[in-house]
Formats: sequence, structure tokens, C-alpha cells
Amino acid sequence: MSHIHLPDGILPVWLWISGYVAAILVGTILLRFVKKEDLPRRLPLLGMMSAAMVLGASVEIIPIAYHVNLTVISGILLGPSLIFLATFVVNVILALFGHGGITVIGLNTLILSIEGILGYLLFRLFWKGLKRLAPAVFLATFLSLLASTLSMIGVVGLGTSHYEELIHQEHDRGIIGFEFGKEKEEHQEKGTAAKEVNLERFIAIVLPLGFIGWVLEGIITVLMIRYIRRLRPDLLRLEKEVL
Amino acid sequence: MIQLSYLDYSAVEGKSRLHRLSPKSKMVGMLLVLFAIVTVKSVLGLFLLYLVLLALFFISRIPMKIFSLTLYPLVFAFLFIFISGFQILFILLIFLKVLCGSTGIVLLLATTPYPSIFRLLGKFLPSLFVTALFLTYRSVFILLNVLEETQHALHLRGGFQWRHPWRSVTNIANAFGHLIIKGIESSEKMYESMVLRGFKNKIHYRGE
Repeated sequence: MSHIHLPDGILPVWLWISGYVAAILVGTILLRFVKKEDLPRRLPLLGMMSAAMVLGASVEIIPIAYHVNLTVISGILLGPSLIFLATFVVNVILALFGHGGITVIGLNTLILSIEGILGYLLFRLFWKGLKRLAPAVFLATFLSLLASTLSMIGVVGLGTSHYEELIHQEHDRGIIGFEFGKEKEEHQEKGTAAKEVNLERFIAIVLPLGFIGWVLEGIITVLMIRYIRRLRPDLLRLEKEVL
Repeated sequence: MIQLSYLDYSAVEGKSRLHRLSPKSKMVGMLLVLFAIVTVKSVLGLFLLYLVLLALFFISRIPMKIFSLTLYPLVFAFLFIFISGFQILFILLIFLKVLCGSTGIVLLLATTPYPSIFRLLGKFLPSLFVTALFLTYRSVFILLNVLEETQHALHLRGGFQWRHPWRSVTNIANAFGHLIIKGIESSEKMYESMVLRGFKNKIHYRGE
């Protein structure tokens, strides 16, 4: 539920450009933590986990487009630096199949990587504290998904004035109306008058649906990690900390 | 995602004018479509753009199985109905933006082989990112084969049944766990074979 399945042209230009800038900055900083000699060896794993995330996003578990993200498990297996690159790649490929717009790739990367990075950090934290795999994985997954869904709602909320403008523009403008710099001020003026955009209704739908998704993905991630631990415990690197 | 192989088939085997056009021109065309999606704010303008894209889709003789890919993103656009308070024009605007974006991108992928797209992207993006993109795309095909086998196994074990939710969730988790383990094993083999062929952090394309 935390992926913004927004088409292009819905979010204001300043917002999605900021998303790209922030994603490039965060990516550049995080990739500095990866050891250069490790990178070629881990690239195929990154590709495979990204492919698993792409497939996870395309396999509906419940037929209302409910799918698993597999971002937390990928974060646990790849570490916080590579998961960022993986989410970027996943979002590009998903956008190439129309699963989210191309302009929102930056924002989607930030949101999904919150899930992966937080999932990795929380899992390590809970594992250290609880020393029990199932609760550590479940709590890490649940809280990471909650955090990324809240950030998704925040991003959608930032574009509220733009949606109001889109609703009103039909009778105000011709076919093309491109704005960039003036966008914010004009929207603030219109925002007070218009009441059509109902973010509360959006939140009221997304949060309960999301809650089911967080619990479901939490359970699935626990079972998957247990399965992986039985067959390939080395992948979880539970004995040593690796960034 | 199963239509991925059809996309690939159409991109490589297609003989239409759009297929023969250079990847650079098609990428520029896609950027223009994106620009239009971001800037055009009238239902009529977007409807005309959608008609043009539809015409290109059918003229290019792209397999009809792929067409459903262009409609899939509408599922997510439904959430915006609730944001707008059921404003018909806003909903139409959103749906048309979704359809134009997805049809444009599917049109690009169904008429251009993916190594050509990645090669072009490699001119603007860091090689690390393009290599990751290429490996992911390749891995999707490897995992699709594993997924097909896993789906049969999942089906034989009962698949997803509302009457047995716990067993269903366990089945799905085991299937994804199996998918990941198999995928990782394949990625290790793939890496070894890539190293044997001289892979050094960068994918080289034919003609480079």
C-alpha cells in the first residue's frame, strides 16, 4: 500500500522534481557506504531481489491490487545502501509497465526505501533486543510499512492544492496550462475556497486497507525469513553486522 | 507480468514503421508524451492524445494480449475518486492521464528491444545504475520461470483458499521464500558466468 500509484501529471511539478533531487542526494550518500570490492559480487543479488520485488508487486494476493512489496525482506538481505539502489531500479521497471508514473519515480524511491532501510535497521534492533526471529521480523515489517504509508499520505497531502486546481481548471483554462514557479502561491489562494478535495476520506480508506496489508505482509515476511533461515542462514548475516 | 515475454517478442519480432524507427526518436517521442501529460490540463486535449496513442498501438500491430497492460494502472487511479469527492471531470482527467502514460510507455517497450533502451539510458545515467537495471530485467525472466513452477506447486498444495487463511498464507510465504532462494542461487551462478566472460561492473553492448 505504500507505493504511490500515481499517474504522471497529478502531483505538482515542484514536488516530483524535489523527489528526484532528494532521491539522487540520498542515493549518492548511501552508495558511499558500499565497499567497492563488494559491489560487483552483490550486483547480481541486487538484480535478483529487485526482480523479486517487481514480481511481488505484480502478483495480486487479494483481487483489489493487494500485493506484497518484499521491500523489508530485500532490505534485510541487501543492507540499507543497496536496498536504495534496488528500490530505484524497481520503480523504474514498474513505471515502464505503467505501475506508477515516470515523474514520481524519485518520490516512490524515497518512500519504498524508507520501508527497506527502516526494515533493516528495526530488524537488527529488535533482533538484538528480543533475540527471537518472528517478533523481530514482524515488528520491523509492520512499523516500516506504517512509516512508509504515512510518508505516502504526506506526499499525497502536499499536492492537495494542486488537485483543487485541477478540479477548477476545466472552466478557467484552455488545453495547455503549464506552471512552475507561481504554482504554490496561486494554489494557496484557491485552496481556502475549494472544499472538493477530501484528504480525510483518502486517509480513511488507505489506513484501514493498509493495516490489513501491513499485518499480511508482516506474517508473510516472518514465514519467508524462517524459510530462508532454514535453508540459507548465511544470507541473513545474523552473527555479524554489515552495512 | 506474464505479458513481459510478449512485450519482448513484439519488440524484437515486430516489423512496423514504429518498430523500425530509431530508439532515440522513440524515447524523444515518449518524453514529449510525458511532457503533454504533465502540462495538458483539459479532458479534450488528453482524449486526443490518447486517441493518437491508441492509433499508433493498433497500426504497429502489437499483440492484443499486451493491451491489458495499459489498463492495469486504472486500478490505482480509483483511489483518487475518493480524494476528488466524485468530481466527474477530475476523475476523467486522472483516468486519461493514466491511460496516456501507460499506453505511451507500453508502446515504447513493445516496439523497442530493452537492450536498446538500456544502452540509450547508459549515455545519461551512471553505469552502476544501468547495470543494475539490466540485471534486474534479466532476473525477472529467470524468476518468471521459477514462479511458473512454484505456482503449480502452490496450486497442488491448495493455493489461496479463504476457508483456510493460515494455510494459504503459509503456502504463499513458502512459495515466495522458494522463489527468493532459487533466485539467489541463480544470481550466484549468473555472477560466476559473467565473471568468466570478463564482467567488470559494466555491461557492454554489441557494437560498443
